[in-house]
Amino acid sequence: MNSIERVEFEAAFLLHAMPYRESSQIIEVLGQHHGRIGLVARGSRRPRSRWKQTLRSFQPMRMSWAGRGTLQTLGAAEATARPLVLTGMRLMAGWYMNELLINLLHRGDPHPDLFAHYGAALAALSEGKELEPVLRRFELVLLAEIGYGLVTDRDAVDAQPLQPERMYAYVADRGPVPAVVGAGDGLVLSGADLLAIGRGDFDRPERLLGAKRLLREKLNWCLGGRSLKTRQVLAAMLSDGVIDGIGA
Amino acid sequence: MHFTPRLQQLLAALRCLPGVGPKSAQRMAFYLLDRDRDGAGELAVALRSALDEVGHCEHCRMFAEQALCTVCADKKRDAGMICIVETPADVIAVDDSGGYRGRYFVLMGRLSPLDGIGPLELGINLLERRLREETITEVILATSATVEGEATAAYIAGLAEKQGIRATRIAHGVPMGGELEYVDSSTLSLALSARTQVPTDAVD
Repeated sequence: MNSIERVEFEAAFLLHAMPYRESSQIIEVLGQHHGRIGLVARGSRRPRSRWKQTLRSFQPMRMSWAGRGTLQTLGAAEATARPLVLTGMRLMAGWYMNELLINLLHRGDPHPDLFAHYGAALAALSEGKELEPVLRRFELVLLAEIGYGLVTDRDAVDAQPLQPERMYAYVADRGPVPAVVGAGDGLVLSGADLLAIGRGDFDRPERLLGAKRLLREKLNWCLGGRSLKTRQVLAAMLSDGVIDGIGA
Repeated sequence: MHFTPRLQQLLAALRCLPGVGPKSAQRMAFYLLDRDRDGAGELAVALRSALDEVGHCEHCRMFAEQALCTVCADKKRDAGMICIVETPADVIAVDDSGGYRGRYFVLMGRLSPLDGIGPLELGINLLERRLREETITEVILATSATVEGEATAAYIAGLAEKQGIRATRIAHGVPMGGELEYVDSSTLSLALSARTQVPTDAVD
């Protein structure tokens, strides 16, 4: 039998909230030490709930919770800083990161480094940093954290270090394979580009594009056929021409 | 304890109401069948006819029994102003405030990509057509003060801008009778940044 677990004032971000019963919510949270957790916020939808201002996405906060099993009960939520303000494409990017975390993290697996990266990525988005490199670095860290990181240092055939001047074809579930001229139509990148992508160095446009295609393929593989709703909604919004597409 | 099949069906049906669990459903069902059979009959008829007759206004998506709702059909209303709200309850709230005589558009939700709610689900194409075809001078964005509500407002403001229409956002601030000490810091900072000139004609 599970014993009652009690967590006091852990740094956390809210990822998503769903209405639950008359006046409560079920919230998905990313905690610094507890990873993704599901909590019931009792009464959080009442008109005078003390959590109204705090329980919102991209708001740095500390939370306390207690309970047993996969769905525990929120005890306290206090803002620790101003909410990070994201608009337009940057807001969509924030939601996209939230959806990735909800879909790819198992509840209760700790990911303290990922928590730090998530906070840093949100800060970078709200400060107006270039959007695509921020997202690609976040995806790199996320995949590495869940054990499906890109292989960008050795080839998948005989584990030799990648040679910068050589061309490699990236096979989704294996890694880079020395490319054979004229064979295959997969994604072919130079060793130098793969090494740079592994370091999160996207100085050249072809590296950013290569990283995007590699990561997209790997993420889709990890999602196992589930499609991301933020991607679909973004596509609909881009077709209106109100939000400027940077092609997410 | 065994309920008859029809009673079981009624209990299950009552539980579709928000906040109604097995106990409340049982109380309601017993009350209707035992104490107030006339009321129960009226409820059944009203529910049936509402389901058959009440649809959505073609113009603003508010509940309506004809093609147009009462607000859209009212010729005396200012057709140049359109107030964007999330739910039919918001239409009632804004209209009861008495300060608004324009028309509405009900989104029936707000942008929430993680729930798969995008422009299509909010009827944005219908709104876009209205912005294009009618002579609208101002779009008032009365969506909620949440991340999703703000995103919805920003998105629609973008649509209005494309048509050269002025878009305004309702103010956020200190509630009537509210003491500053008890107002949360984010509301207070919004109230400060949107402060207004105090009318001084009384002094002069």
